[in-house]
Amino acid sequence: MNERLRLLFAEAVDIKLEVLHNSELTIEIAYIAPLCEENKINDFIIVPFTKDFYPFESQLSTNPDYRKVDDVAKWQELMLRGNVLIEAAGIIYSFDASRIISIENPQTQVESAIQGPQLALSEDVNISLNLIRSMYPSPDLSVEEHTIGSLSKTPVFALFDQRRVDPTVLDSVRTKLTTINVEMLHAAGELEKLLVGKRKHLFPTILITERPDRISKAIAKGKIVILLKGNMFAIILPATFFDFMHAVEDDYDAYWMTRFLIFLRYTSIVLTITLPALYISVVSYNPELFRVQLAFSIAGSRSAVPYPSFIEVFIMLFMIETLIEASIRLPRYIGSTATTVGGLILGQAAQQAGLVSSIMIIVTSVVAISNFVIPVNSLSFAVRFLKYPLIGIAIFFGITGVSVGMFVYIVYLCNLRSFGKPYMRIFGKLRPLEGDIGQVKIK
Amino acid sequence: MNRYVFYNFILVSFMNLMLYVPHILIDYRFTGAVSSILIGIVIGSILVYLYTSAMARFPGKGLPEILKLYYPQWVVTASMLFFAIMWWFATTIVVVAFAVLINRFFNPDANTLIILTMLVIACGYAATRSTLSVMFVMEIGLIINAPIILFVLFKAVRSTQLNWDAIHIAANYVTVMPTLTCIAAASFIFTGYINLSLFNRLFPPNFRFKFRFFYPLFGAMILLITFFVPIGFHGTEGVGQYIYIWSFTADSLLMQYGFIERVLFLFLIVYLNLTLVYTMAGWHQAMEFVKSCFPSNKPEIDSPKTPVSNYIIVGIFALLSILYLLMTNEKINMLVTSYWLVLRLFVELFIVVWVVILSKKGAKTA
Repeated sequence: MNERLRLLFAEAVDIKLEVLHNSELTIEIAYIAPLCEENKINDFIIVPFTKDFYPFESQLSTNPDYRKVDDVAKWQELMLRGNVLIEAAGIIYSFDASRIISIENPQTQVESAIQGPQLALSEDVNISLNLIRSMYPSPDLSVEEHTIGSLSKTPVFALFDQRRVDPTVLDSVRTKLTTINVEMLHAAGELEKLLVGKRKHLFPTILITERPDRISKAIAKGKIVILLKGNMFAIILPATFFDFMHAVEDDYDAYWMTRFLIFLRYTSIVLTITLPALYISVVSYNPELFRVQLAFSIAGSRSAVPYPSFIEVFIMLFMIETLIEASIRLPRYIGSTATTVGGLILGQAAQQAGLVSSIMIIVTSVVAISNFVIPVNSLSFAVRFLKYPLIGIAIFFGITGVSVGMFVYIVYLCNLRSFGKPYMRIFGKLRPLEGDIGQVKIK
Repeated sequence: MNRYVFYNFILVSFMNLMLYVPHILIDYRFTGAVSSILIGIVIGSILVYLYTSAMARFPGKGLPEILKLYYPQWVVTASMLFFAIMWWFATTIVVVAFAVLINRFFNPDANTLIILTMLVIACGYAATRSTLSVMFVMEIGLIINAPIILFVLFKAVRSTQLNWDAIHIAANYVTVMPTLTCIAAASFIFTGYINLSLFNRLFPPNFRFKFRFFYPLFGAMILLITFFVPIGFHGTEGVGQYIYIWSFTADSLLMQYGFIERVLFLFLIVYLNLTLVYTMAGWHQAMEFVKSCFPSNKPEIDSPKTPVSNYIIVGIFALLSILYLLMTNEKINMLVTSYWLVLRLFVELFIVVWVVILSKKGAKTA
């Protein structure tokens, strides 16, 4: 066996090919040292073989951890996955001794909840599966394995409740997963893009999460969860717009407070999209829209500004967007300095220098703060973009343009489908007796 | 699922302001408008009742599919083309009127043509979506805007400026014989049910029309407010001077505590949204009717990919709307609208009677 393996692999010092002898038997073992747990190899192969209390050959055939390998073509793949190949008396066995380096049981970081499970999914799929299985202890939980990536050979697991899952969604997910054709796959975001299939999409139609409670809830609702090896994020599909606006804490805290928070989120999403465009249209087109005092104070604060309102908006939005970008990329300690310098000092100075009006500074900060209220990061990013087309249309049409632009956004959202399910739909809950609109297929 | 029927009904009943219905009625305020309103309510309610009963026998089928069941293709093609033109026209006059209105109140410096082009592109994009998406947009549009309209109406009715004597005087002309134009205008409020001609496709087989008493009540309320509130604000004589009568009525109101002081702006923005939704719904139906003219066409309520034919048909609609703006002015548009309202009444009567007969026939053969 070892001679053949030497030909199959490129020259590499970390491939171990050994021959072992004891009183009755000679075996060959082969493994890639960095991928394997040396202790495990010692405990399960070398020590029992050399001590020979119990005939090693019968141990190989009885213990299910040693699996028989009939296909020579699988040798390479098994070794690359951290298996040890053993040849004893002409039969090849494989033994899983893989060592996975991962953060053990990390805390939730991206989506944190004050009261709620603090454990996030792990980069080790087995630990993630353990978390989900223990949160969803149901015999109906089905786990399917697929492999994606011609080079990376990433194992991908699809989890769903076999009684509750929507069969049409499941079918389309299965066909998508089997037809994906890429070389490398490492991140959940990559898989999301491949699953959606559209090259240019604006809104996320698949939810990426790290919270096991969100996942178990989604499975209970009949959704499909996809886990990736080496990734602490799972994919939930199909997802609706409202899932992205929903924080897990909404289910844990007091009813009226959470309703208020949800209302706050929707208000702020409207504000963050429309406010810069409304500023342009009110200042440049319809100052008579507001009551006289307000119109005067806006005009008064703008009296030192020498150029039209949209240039002012562009300056401030450019500043705030670069600030946000910078504070994400910078190390944590410098990040707060950057925001203070940028936000407070530059804003103040820009207003005193007469580059922008003080109202515009308020508008900018409201836009930035409201954007952070959105609980799921991917939607927050999508929404950050939405204000720019509106600004464009407001420059030419004023408040009418903003109104029409919002209408087009709503149409776009309603037109989106996440694996055949409507993305944006108010009152999605149905009474099963009544049936739903659009179920009938016309012949 | 009954709410999806209500949405259509409520949307059209709100849209009457854009179709010069109050103006037409107020023109005849001493010569038969009040009695026409009463007759219009009766006619409208009967039509709603008949059409919903008839449509309930054809679950999941729109008007084109129903006709295809009983008639050869050429009958279907001819009638569907005609209906498509009716539906297209119903919305085009509204969107053109609104482009003019925006020019009057919001952007007096802008060119009406450019404003209309923008509106038409937005509506065209929306109308090419699938039937299901159109329904969702309609739902969201109404849920956002209807409360504001009800707020404005409530504010108008409760206003101290409202002169109830003027309303009494106008109401006393109830004994004057009704006129056809007024009946046509008044019954327009109830015409939302006719959208079922297409949207009936969406409803599942076990769907039942419920709460039908709501239609006459809501329609009557909207109609009475539409007619009497402007009279109360402007007086029996002064009310005749305005064309965009409700815009001026809204402008008579003041919101003391809001950012926006004049109700007019709120009113116009809300009606802009409703106009967009209404145009989208109308063009979408007209588009589907045109598509059903081709025998090979298969109706699809939620196609994953937008067919090219959608873009072509709606593109033609959009160009025709722009042409309509270029060929007409406000005066002609108003005249055409009043004739169209009368024609619409008869076409709707015809459709309803036709479908009712077909539904009885279907019951016998089945």
